[in-house]
Amino acid sequence: MNFYEHTLIARQDLSTLELEGVENKYKDIIDKNAGKIIKVEKWGLLSFAKKIRAYNKGFYIHYKFQGESKTLEEIRKSSIIDNSLIRHLTVKYKKLDTETEYFKDKDINEKKK
Amino acid sequence: MKRKNNKFNKRPQNPLNKLSLFQKSDSRFSKKCPLSGKGAPAVDYKNIKLLRRYISDTDKIMPSRITSVSQNKQRKLTTEIKKAKILGLL
Repeated sequence: MNFYEHTLIARQDLSTLELEGVENKYKDIIDKNAGKIIKVEKWGLLSFAKKIRAYNKGFYIHYKFQGESKTLEEIRKSSIIDNSLIRHLTVKYKKLDTETEYFKDKDINEKKK
Repeated sequence: MKRKNNKFNKRPQNPLNKLSLFQKSDSRFSKKCPLSGKGAPAVDYKNIKLLRRYISDTDKIMPSRITSVSQNKQRKLTTEIKKAKILGLL
């Protein structure tokens, strides 16, 4: 079992109900496939540095979990097909840092340069 | 030998010599790496405030000879900056 971090970017024009659906969907995928969620962070609506596929903003959801290669495969499979996601990224860690949250203050994007 | 040394020491130094633009300053090369050592900030793709310091105006990664980051940390910086760019954070 290894530690992983997974971040999603969901489309801006989703309603709050749909957002919860997206969040719960990937929670279930991790839980069902030999994974164990440690923490879920919602970074909220952030604006991109550049336009990505005609979108200027997106909702960020961040998972910290313990899992195997099987869980990663399932996440990748479903997020490729998923229409409500713009991008996703998984990173492997030896130790998870669960304390510091870099996106707590929302002004972080506005202070840019 | 002694006499020669004395003469060399007594020779007056031109103060303008030190100020000249073409002379390399010593302080620049003794600078330590800001990312290694005790109490250094963590290099991570989520730590955007830190990563922005090592990027030029045109979103290029700054060379380590300007920022004086050590080679090991520079390698980590490049990978973390690229991860942040995938997520649209930088």
